Amino acid sequence: MATQKPERFDQVDWTEISRSRWFDLSINSIGMLAAALPLLIVALYDWQVLDERTPTLEPVGPAWDVGTVDYLFIFTLLLFAFYIVLPLFQNPRRTKYYWREFKRNRPAVVSLGWLAVVFVGGIFGPFFISAPEQSILTGYQPPVFLSVEQSYVSTCVGEVVNNQCQGTWQHPLGTTAGGKDVFSGIVHGMTISMQIGFITTTIVATIGITFGTVSAYAGGWADELMMRFVDIVLSFPTLLMFLLILYIYGAGLGMFIVVFAAFAWGGTARYVRSKSLSISEEEFIKANRISGASTYRVVRRHVVPNAASSIITQLTLLIPGFLLAEAQLAFLGLGDSTIPSWGQLISAGRSDLSFAPWIVLAPGIVLFLTILAFNFLGDALLDALNPEAEAENA
Amino acid sequence: MTDEPILSVRDLKKHYPIRKGIFNRQVGAAKAVDGIGFDIAPGETLGLVGESGCGKSTAASSVIRLEEPTAGEVVFNGNGRGGASRDSDGTHPNDVTEFSDAELKRFRRGAQMIFQDPASSFDPRMTVGSAVAEMLEVHGMSDRHRRRAIVEDLLERVGLSAEDYDRYPHEFSGGQKQRIALARALVLNPDLIIADEPVSALDVSIQAEILSLIDDLQTDFDLSLLFISHDMSVIRRICDRVAVMYLGEIVEVGPTDEVFADPQHPYTEALLSSIPTPNPRSTVGGIELAGTVPSPTNPPSGCRFHTRCHRVIQPDGVDVDQSDWRGILNFRDRVAAGQVDVESIRENIVVDDGPTSDDHVRAQLRTEFDIDERIGDPEIEGTLQDAIDRLLAGDDEAAAELLSDRFTTPCAETVPERTVHSPDHESSCLRHESEQATAPGAADD
Repeated sequence: MATQKPERFDQVDWTEISRSRWFDLSINSIGMLAAALPLLIVALYDWQVLDERTPTLEPVGPAWDVGTVDYLFIFTLLLFAFYIVLPLFQNPRRTKYYWREFKRNRPAVVSLGWLAVVFVGGIFGPFFISAPEQSILTGYQPPVFLSVEQSYVSTCVGEVVNNQCQGTWQHPLGTTAGGKDVFSGIVHGMTISMQIGFITTTIVATIGITFGTVSAYAGGWADELMMRFVDIVLSFPTLLMFLLILYIYGAGLGMFIVVFAAFAWGGTARYVRSKSLSISEEEFIKANRISGASTYRVVRRHVVPNAASSIITQLTLLIPGFLLAEAQLAFLGLGDSTIPSWGQLISAGRSDLSFAPWIVLAPGIVLFLTILAFNFLGDALLDALNPEAEAENA
Repeated sequence: MTDEPILSVRDLKKHYPIRKGIFNRQVGAAKAVDGIGFDIAPGETLGLVGESGCGKSTAASSVIRLEEPTAGEVVFNGNGRGGASRDSDGTHPNDVTEFSDAELKRFRRGAQMIFQDPASSFDPRMTVGSAVAEMLEVHGMSDRHRRRAIVEDLLERVGLSAEDYDRYPHEFSGGQKQRIALARALVLNPDLIIADEPVSALDVSIQAEILSLIDDLQTDFDLSLLFISHDMSVIRRICDRVAVMYLGEIVEVGPTDEVFADPQHPYTEALLSSIPTPNPRSTVGGIELAGTVPSPTNPPSGCRFHTRCHRVIQPDGVDVDQSDWRGILNFRDRVAAGQVDVESIRENIVVDDGPTSDDHVRAQLRTEFDIDERIGDPEIEGTLQDAIDRLLAGDDEAAAELLSDRFTTPCAETVPERTVHSPDHESSCLRHESEQATAPGAADD
């Protein structure tokens, strides 16, 4: 298609080109739009047309009632797919380079593997493993290969040997007092954790990056005002705010995510601002301004990508905080008791710790490993994505 | 070639306000560029030369409007804007400083810039190909295949290969990056390129390659060049005309050959004497400029160069050795600034026998300021001795008063006008004003 056109720079007719104005969307944006629009339509249909009790997908088959958090989660997953995963495939050389750098950190590779398990389990697990259901009769079943005294269990699913109820593959990690399967609880908890991780990160990143770059580029009084606002956000007692909302409106997972994300972006904004300020002094930014590019374009194409390595690292290290906060609130009995999160599972087993430790230990270990994995990943990403290190290794 | 210059700069100023206090009141301004003017003809290379901190780079970024100039006019006649005449209110339709955003974007296609440090002038996270192609994208070329074809062709033209399109900046050497910078500056097919010290970060051998590449591209695409450098030998290689800048002002402008053969301003002389000669036995006849460039916040009165000039004029009735005169003026300035500490001089003198006497200090002062033991003019000698005596007596203020009373130079009082030496060669030095008629006010209005 380019053959009939002039291909030398000095034969370009700029008056003709600069007159034609249209949006130049990248493949990523086109894909994102193509995927997000149907999602939006379904969400609107769910909200406006269907009555509250009808599961969203009933007309098609599966009885999955998609909630607000699910919509947000799918949206953030799309963002992740089109703007983080797809670019990795578009730039195979750079991806290989990052992978080489990343591979040096073995704990981080293991962490990435674990997080991949949590991610895949969280997304596809609920489709194959049904949600844990209450069944008082089969409470306190021990995990497979373990046993518990017969007197604690009303009905033992497995064999009873020497007055000991043996665990079965039917409940590989045992059951809670209410007979809920711990394994399926953990799998469904993965979904919750991934939802918390992805949605909060997206909210924090959006607000933080916008606020930080605008503040850095506005300068003067606007900068001063915006940064003082960040100080307020940072010093705001989020937990008290959440408790207040909890007592007035009641608080589900969605509210938890929104409240905690809405007060967590302060650090990111401040960080992005200082990064943007130092990057905007670089000579290549000057070189780009001289190209005639708008400030928005320079920020989007050059400032943010160059700050990205630090931003990604910072966000990765924020996620464990949210996961822990959710678990802590659940443990205190302040969480959303309708969701099968790890924190709920832990809090369900806290009074039975003496004879049924698996109810607390299984989700506790999973939570611990996930938080550890995020921390390792954050450190490794900082090293792998650091542009200075990149220049030195060249 | 028309008579119309492609770029015409008149009285361009860039002052950086200095603010202090709680209300941010402006207490002064650093006059980085203070009323410069020059023309560049189509296809011509004008060199802008001067030592670090004299405002060369600020001038460049003000001309191209990377920074907003404080005052002045930059008329750009390239890009098919030629032939315009002044509006009735005296403004020029091609004045870059008055361009609207849309016009400015169009101007970016007509004038581009190359930066000094090739290492930092590319986004480390972008392939060099897309960095060059981005220029096309910004200006509306949405066809990515076409962008790629143009950039690949251009990369080959500047001495790289088309495969380099997908490589990252850190994979290239400094010289290669400067070639890519040239490609980036060229890709919009501008008429004017401003090169801000494009080779000073490179090895001498690479410098030569880049300079000849610039030369070739200039002939091929009929470019005009504003070439900024502090290196006179580079200027001599590439420039048709040269403008010498000192402390925000242009002190001499003329054809390169003429300026190099017959420099008219003492500052130009000093710069030229700094070029190393290939003969190792030749004693460097270098003119050493004492001190640093004065602060642009408070530039010296009269001729700005008079504080360091080796040819500073002696007033009527004074006739002493020129180097003594320079020494006396330096002595005067240092005493006035309170920087001559007799006690520390006394302590630092090593005497073989006996205590250091005042005579030792006197001699030391004269050596330090390069003043003869006995100056020819008895009156001057008397005043100088008087001042040194007062200094020794500890009366610094009286010494300073006496010195600044008695030793004055016309250079500090009169701002030199432009003197025309030959049709294209002008300089601003008071020594010429007595010799030749002043310029008919054409070039430096």
